[in-house]
Amino acid sequence: MAKTFKKVPSGVSGFDEIAHGGIPKGRVTLISGASGTGKTVFSAQFLYKGITEYDENGVFVTFEESPADIIKNMEGFGWDVNKLIKEQKWAFVDASPDESESMEAGHYDLGAFLARIEYAITKVNADRVAIDSVSALFAQYQDPSIIRRELYRVTARLKKMKITCIMSAERPTETGHITRFGVEEFVSDNVILLHNRLDHRGMRERTVEILKFRGSGHESEEAPLIVDMSGLNIYPRPKPQLRGKGFSEKISTGVAGLDELLEGGVYKNSSTLVTGSSGTGKTVTTLHFIMEAAKRGEKTLFIEFEESPDQLFRNAYSFGWDLEKYVKNGSVNLVCHYPEDFKAEQYLRVIQHLVTENNIKIAALDSLSALQRIYTEEKFREFVIGLNAFLKMQDCTMLLTNTTSQLLGVTKITETNLSTATDNIIILKYVELGGKMRRLLSVLKQRGSRHKKELMEYEISTYGMKILGAFEGVENLMSGSARTLQIRFDEKEAEQEFREEIKEGRI
Amino acid sequence: MATKYVLKLYVTGQTSSSARALQNLESLLKNELKGMYELKVIDVLKNPRLAEEDKILATPTLTKALPLPIRRIIGDLSDKDKVLLGLDLTFE
Repeated sequence: MAKTFKKVPSGVSGFDEIAHGGIPKGRVTLISGASGTGKTVFSAQFLYKGITEYDENGVFVTFEESPADIIKNMEGFGWDVNKLIKEQKWAFVDASPDESESMEAGHYDLGAFLARIEYAITKVNADRVAIDSVSALFAQYQDPSIIRRELYRVTARLKKMKITCIMSAERPTETGHITRFGVEEFVSDNVILLHNRLDHRGMRERTVEILKFRGSGHESEEAPLIVDMSGLNIYPRPKPQLRGKGFSEKISTGVAGLDELLEGGVYKNSSTLVTGSSGTGKTVTTLHFIMEAAKRGEKTLFIEFEESPDQLFRNAYSFGWDLEKYVKNGSVNLVCHYPEDFKAEQYLRVIQHLVTENNIKIAALDSLSALQRIYTEEKFREFVIGLNAFLKMQDCTMLLTNTTSQLLGVTKITETNLSTATDNIIILKYVELGGKMRRLLSVLKQRGSRHKKELMEYEISTYGMKILGAFEGVENLMSGSARTLQIRFDEKEAEQEFREEIKEGRI
Repeated sequence: MATKYVLKLYVTGQTSSSARALQNLESLLKNELKGMYELKVIDVLKNPRLAEEDKILATPTLTKALPLPIRRIIGDLSDKDKVLLGLDLTFE
């Protein structure tokens, strides 16, 4: 039977998910990355959260920055390391470079270093040790082979003392060797890589990748890493999963005529995409959906990227809906943000938090296009799939809107990967008919249900969206410029056309 | 008046390199400094706190606190020329 290793929570949000539990307990884990990848913050967070959340005291061995600098830098995350030192929960082993001149005259080992680590561990009764970064140690001595041998001795001792240790090392470049000076030769059981590179749009992206955990499972894919006010956060990539439950119950979209087309509304737990060009009424449709749910007494989440809360309230009032009241009493959780405020992974986290905290079953997002504008194609796809998977798991019914750039004519929805990610698609569009711009609504698909396929005309009035009836006797509507099928014979017009054609030499 | 040397030798217990360092140092001090020094031998296994305060990593380490500049000489002091250089005892 395979030996399984226990793990301890890392204290780095999201990391334990990709590490299937955390950092291997009682062993040494190497964290390697080029400068600026977050090694020091990871190390400090591992200790700080270890103490404050998991009751495991820690020793921080620093080879680069002075303890004073580290304490100061960690204040930025709200971590009071001084307090923990006073409480005898955190100890430093200060191995940062000394100013005094140093020279070598004969054989030596790092016995004093080992004695200091052991002393610090005993002093605070530590379970965790972070060593940051061993690469700096090599620079202080002439013979790297001695340092390698001595570091091996240190790791062996730590293992014997059942200490969970993370040891950081500098990676010379983003590709190639795992560490400078071959540190991985003696700590090779568990290796984590931190990356910091530019994506194809020139945006800096940090990620974490678990290269190996000997004898233990982990995700192998890179996961985005973001440093914010709270420290390091890791955002495991959402896994698309098959929906667990199918629902047979339908809920109203809030638009009477639309429910009829959908044979009673949308399925609970489904996702609906409303797509249309600017001004076709996507936000109104969203308002219908939210107001209807709020009136039913359901908790809803309303993410609005296009308008401010005040604009939205005014907008809703103009249709006779008191959205503000529902927002104030907490039944509608309104989130109005600039899409630029968060990265995709953070947005997903914010939404997940809101949905689980408030037990939300109805969610709407208006519009995805705002996100599409700023995310890379891959990130956008991940976001939509991740959001979809999460909301389904929560038995949440979702409505998404998407703005198409074309005012008239045919738009491909499949291009944006949205069509496969959503269960139902409703198209709103303008058509030119009889010298007028008219509005057309069509249900393109409804997964698992029958729906009416007619092309419907609708209007936006003071009561919101109203379905008027099917366009009849016209064709080519979806191209945007329709032709009536009735052939109206107008002598004058025919005469005129005839003359023109002769003039142009076509006849 | 000759300058007085203030020296500390950090060792780890009774190891052979500790003994060698002490032996090398004492013979050198006897010949070169003729009593004008103060030497403290610190066993870091017994006094790890002192090693922490003085930021000692390697053993043996000899530190010269006086005369200035402060200097550390790492190793068992078998390289006599280096030690003399480190203690500013090389005369032309």
